[in-house]
Amino acid sequence: MEKLKAPSHELTIRVLGEVAFEDRLIGFSLRSRSGSLPVTMYKFEEVVTLLNDPFPRLDWSDLERWIKNIIRDPELVEEIVAAVKEEKSDRDRCLRIRVRMEERLNQCKKRM
Amino acid sequence: MNGYAGKILRIDLTDRETSTIDTKDYEQWVGGHGMGSAIFWDLVKDKTISGFDPRNVVTIMTSPLSGTLVPGASSRTEVQGIGVQSYPIEWFTRSNFGGRFAAMLKFAGFDGIVIEGKADKPVWIDIRNKDVKIKDAQHWWGLDAWKTQEEIWREVSGKGYGGWIEWGLSGNEGRTTQRPAVLTIGPAGENLSRIASLIHDAGNASGQGGFGGVWGSKNLKAISVIGTESIQIADPNGLVEARLWANKNYGVDIDNPDLSWYARFGRKKPQDRFWDPPEKARLHACLGCHLGCNEKTDTGYGNESACVETSFYAYWDKSKHGGKQTAAAYIAADLLQKFGINAYEASRGLSYIRDLSRMGVLGHGRKIKCDLDFNLLGEVEFVNQFLKMIAYRRGIGDDFAEGFSRASKRWGRLEEDLKTGVLQYPYWGLPEHGYDPRAEVEWGYGSILGDRDINEHDFNFLFWWTSGAIWAGKTPYPDAERVVRIVAEKLVPYENDPLMLDHSTHNIYSEHMAKLVAWHRHYTRFWKQSVLFCDLRWPDFINSKNGYQGLTGEGEPRFFNAVTGKKISFREGMEMGRKIWNLDNAIWTLQGRHRDMVHFSDYIYRVPYGGLGNYAMYYLPGRENGQWKYIRVNGRYLDRARFEEFKTRFYKFEGWDSLTGWPTRGTLESLRLHPVADELQRKGKLGTG
Repeated sequence: MEKLKAPSHELTIRVLGEVAFEDRLIGFSLRSRSGSLPVTMYKFEEVVTLLNDPFPRLDWSDLERWIKNIIRDPELVEEIVAAVKEEKSDRDRCLRIRVRMEERLNQCKKRM
Repeated sequence: MNGYAGKILRIDLTDRETSTIDTKDYEQWVGGHGMGSAIFWDLVKDKTISGFDPRNVVTIMTSPLSGTLVPGASSRTEVQGIGVQSYPIEWFTRSNFGGRFAAMLKFAGFDGIVIEGKADKPVWIDIRNKDVKIKDAQHWWGLDAWKTQEEIWREVSGKGYGGWIEWGLSGNEGRTTQRPAVLTIGPAGENLSRIASLIHDAGNASGQGGFGGVWGSKNLKAISVIGTESIQIADPNGLVEARLWANKNYGVDIDNPDLSWYARFGRKKPQDRFWDPPEKARLHACLGCHLGCNEKTDTGYGNESACVETSFYAYWDKSKHGGKQTAAAYIAADLLQKFGINAYEASRGLSYIRDLSRMGVLGHGRKIKCDLDFNLLGEVEFVNQFLKMIAYRRGIGDDFAEGFSRASKRWGRLEEDLKTGVLQYPYWGLPEHGYDPRAEVEWGYGSILGDRDINEHDFNFLFWWTSGAIWAGKTPYPDAERVVRIVAEKLVPYENDPLMLDHSTHNIYSEHMAKLVAWHRHYTRFWKQSVLFCDLRWPDFINSKNGYQGLTGEGEPRFFNAVTGKKISFREGMEMGRKIWNLDNAIWTLQGRHRDMVHFSDYIYRVPYGGLGNYAMYYLPGRENGQWKYIRVNGRYLDRARFEEFKTRFYKFEGWDSLTGWPTRGTLESLRLHPVADELQRKGKLGTG
């Protein structure tokens, strides 16, 4: 079920764009043998890909800052803050945040 | 000599001559790494030479268990020599691969191969039982690693490789339906890349050390071996009984697969891979394995790949294709092996140059000129171009082929990028593995005190299960105190010191941690790299089928003794590992090692691992306020001064000179390594104290 308002043209450009080196986001993909694979992300879609990984690790406060300051999507920030506060585990936070980020991504893709 | 073929094949490429060494001459070193280090010590008089020097000797060793029914120990092959990958010094190093090669070498009548010299033009080695020929390989120079194997299979069979292969011996001794086991290099090795691998079958690679480049420098394209002989087992009944006992008590319980908490020996999901599982695939195993960890697919893509190569491109593939994985991830893994390129270097290197691209320093018309179009990252076209650049040293690929530490040095970026951690190469110019020294310290300590990324997963279960459970909001069971107690009991000869497993920050520089690192070095040097138990299945510390008591401690010597007829204890094996570890340190000392150069890259002391945030990432057992818990270890970095104190503790614990890190006469002689002490003294490198 869609929850987010339609994105502006400017937000769409940022969501589908690629950020500068200084604005990159770093997470990890975990496996039992290869350990924690560092993942450097420059695109909103790359973050969504990581969150769809079976064993993703991402600092939620980093993500919140990134969405707030780099992507500049206050509505999504609110969703992230709520998920971090209300969900009991990082897995559940991940699932909830992922849904909203996918929604935003799809909105932007449709708009373009 | 039960378990042994009895001869080690010696190949002099310079004079194109072959001879043999009696395995008995090196039997005290048991097999694998121990024998390889001892042979290297004896044959390489000047240990300071480059890995590309024709005087470098490469040993390819099996163990008494190779080719037998011992579960998870039949198929590993140990490769040693001076490598060309590490930076700034090309350390004497090791690598290891699975498949069929070790068993087939034993069936042909050899316990190992010693490669010396340099051929004047490309050659391959054709071994059919004890018949060994050095043959011209000029016509195969340039072929990829898979095509080379196909050509050799055809050549050896003489009529295609689907039926019987026969050669001029009588009876069944010269007749088999098996294909030869081939170890080969691809174009990366031929072009002397320092990150070139040796490749065997579809998914087996000897990646670390750059031995593909070493073979290339020797003009050695491939070794093919096929054999039909047998291996004498001291106690065949005992061996079969041991295998049944192990499987019954510690193996996969197919009726109740979910009972397994965590077991290395009998995991409920044997496969390990990063990519999404292929739709149609079946489990595939190395020769003799009781489980199998990789797959064969109906598409033929990604066959037999199970490890880091499955992570290399999967994420980029999905990111590029709307979250859906395509064939690109599988094809990328296959290309790594066809070209013969180290997957970790390619993976971390690709991430690094993408960062440099986003920095604006690498790309078209930039300071570091690079033709790669990162808009295509995730496509087959991109990865094919990237790997070809390395394999054929095209353009900036000439730098990539040197390994990304040396490439960064060429670009004048190494110090800065190791300070910030943009280049995640924590030790000896080698890529980070996934077990960061700031979190899982014993992995990092073992690597920097040795020669390479250890790639020994013995204690990773402590991180994997707990981190996954806590991330999912569950309480890991058994609790930390119980797990630590079970594991500590098994850490013979330093048993029952649970503080060895305390990963809290106040303990990671302690003598307890030094003991854990020493235990790990000694265990792996003997049981895993000399006896050649597989890293994926051994050790088995925790196993829910047996009251959480794993197989380790009892299993290793039981199998070893059944095959060899010897009566060694687990403790004696550990002491043997200490001896081999000391010999290796003597070799590194002669290569120029000193404690002053034993330090991590700067970012390990400056940048918090995984950021500072309060999120469930990386957990290990540790004590908080005297209580055992699974504690979060992400967010920390190492203290430089305290790590120096740790080194002093470690060197003292090993009986080495704490000012230099060099072995001492007392320690070497206690291990009956008198000639090693004498040689170090002659070279002015013997530690005091």
